[in-house]
Amino acid sequence: MSKGIIRHDFEPKIMGFVCKWCTYSGADLAGTSRMDYSPHVRMVRLPCSGRIDPQFVIKAFEQGADGVIISGCHPGDCHYNEGNYYARRRNLAFRNLMEFNGIDTKRLEFSWISAAEAIKFTQIIDKFTNQVRELGPNEGYRVLLDPYASRLVKSSEESAA
Amino acid sequence: MIEQIREKARELLESGELDVVIGYAEGSDPSRTTPIFCRKPEDTDKLVLDGRCVNTLPAYLNKRHEYPKKGWKKTGIIGKGCDIRAITQLVAENQLKRDEVYIFGAECEGVVAHPEKWDGSLHEGNCASKCSSCDVKIPLDTDFYPGEKPEVDRSGPYLVTAPALATLVKMDDEDRFAFWRDDFDRCFKCYACREVCPHCSCNICITDRTMPSWVDQAAHTKGVFGWHLTRAMHLVGRCTGCGECTRACPVNIQVDLFNQKMKEVIQESFDYKSGYSMEVKPPLITYNTDDTENYIR
Ligand code: SF4
Ligand code: SF4
Ligand code: SF4
Repeated sequence: MSKGIIRHDFEPKIMGFVCKWCTYSGADLAGTSRMDYSPHVRMVRLPCSGRIDPQFVIKAFEQGADGVIISGCHPGDCHYNEGNYYARRRNLAFRNLMEFNGIDTKRLEFSWISAAEAIKFTQIIDKFTNQVRELGPNEGYRVLLDPYASRLVKSSEESAA
Repeated sequence: MIEQIREKARELLESGELDVVIGYAEGSDPSRTTPIFCRKPEDTDKLVLDGRCVNTLPAYLNKRHEYPKKGWKKTGIIGKGCDIRAITQLVAENQLKRDEVYIFGAECEGVVAHPEKWDGSLHEGNCASKCSSCDVKIPLDTDFYPGEKPEVDRSGPYLVTAPALATLVKMDDEDRFAFWRDDFDRCFKCYACREVCPHCSCNICITDRTMPSWVDQAAHTKGVFGWHLTRAMHLVGRCTGCGECTRACPVNIQVDLFNQKMKEVIQESFDYKSGYSMEVKPPLITYNTDDTENYIR
């Protein structure tokens, strides 16, 4: 059974940076098991969560992402033994840095998802998508991207006027 | 104090034990000092050391500069306590070998926040904020120290000193974002904040690389946000808090607020203080299996 289709005013753009050994395989499993989940995440497959440079996240926001999700193997399960331990430390620092910069850390998700956790994968994606949808477009960065963004009139307002 | 250092520096240059002594000399006007490279023994007469000596000289020891590649076997350097901490951190990061440098240290009374504020003396009104909570006024690691070096307890936490930080952390995300957006609007990407830093070690900084271009090179706010996030991230757990980035900024952006904030985070999460030990690994190049993961789902 598929879920009913709800039309929303805003569909977020979400970037996913995931480890190929766990999360990507988990996503594969979700796909081959025909599980249903939000289609908003654009996933990039990387060899390890330790390979995910915070630079990717900065770039994603700069390119207009409304949320970013990073995911890899559970601690102890890393294919390269310790990559995710480094990722854990690095991302703790990075989250704090983003927060200090005034970027809502609700737009940044970090999760451990193993290759067997297809259900967890779909749940995390759905939950995160809803969370970002509620936050709305990443206004802060929109203004940076386009200095006139705040002066734009929404087409619906225009037609109402 | 400086007489003893001059004397020792002259002696070591004469004997050939040191190839160069890096220190401070009188600058272009009475409120400024300038870095000086003493290659000849008589140059040491020009050395000064007082509250105007703001520059962090260990930046010259960083391999990205020409000087470490000049074939000088041993470099002498005069440092304030906080500068010497930067040297310790460079050693901890394998950027430098401890026996490549000879450190002259002396008790420090603090320095001015900016040479502009120098009015002949050092007082509460013009002292740099980092000096108020400094625990290395008596430097940690020296080869030459005039007189007896007293024992100092340095077990306390790194105190974050910038007054602006306290107000910033209390704001909500949107206001903080607006604060930085207004501030970063002034940044024109001169990269002075990078050039003065003793810990920006890259021969080619990621922001100077164009293929691929990870950091937007244009000096509009988007590019500036990218630059400052990148820079701050690269200095997590490494910045020794000299405050030079803020001082060097020609448009008064408090660049080191990021670094100070991260210092606090690193201390709380990993119990690490940069610049106090040559053996302990900087936090982001190591891990514990039981590190906190309260932000992970
Ligand atoms: S980031 Fe700034 S305060 Fe920290 S070491 Fe570099 S120049 Fe000094
Ligand atoms: S900002 Fe980063 S890439 Fe650039 S010099 Fe500093 S550490 Fe290197
Ligand atoms: S020194 Fe100031 S103006 Fe120059 S790049 Fe750094 S923040 Fe921008």
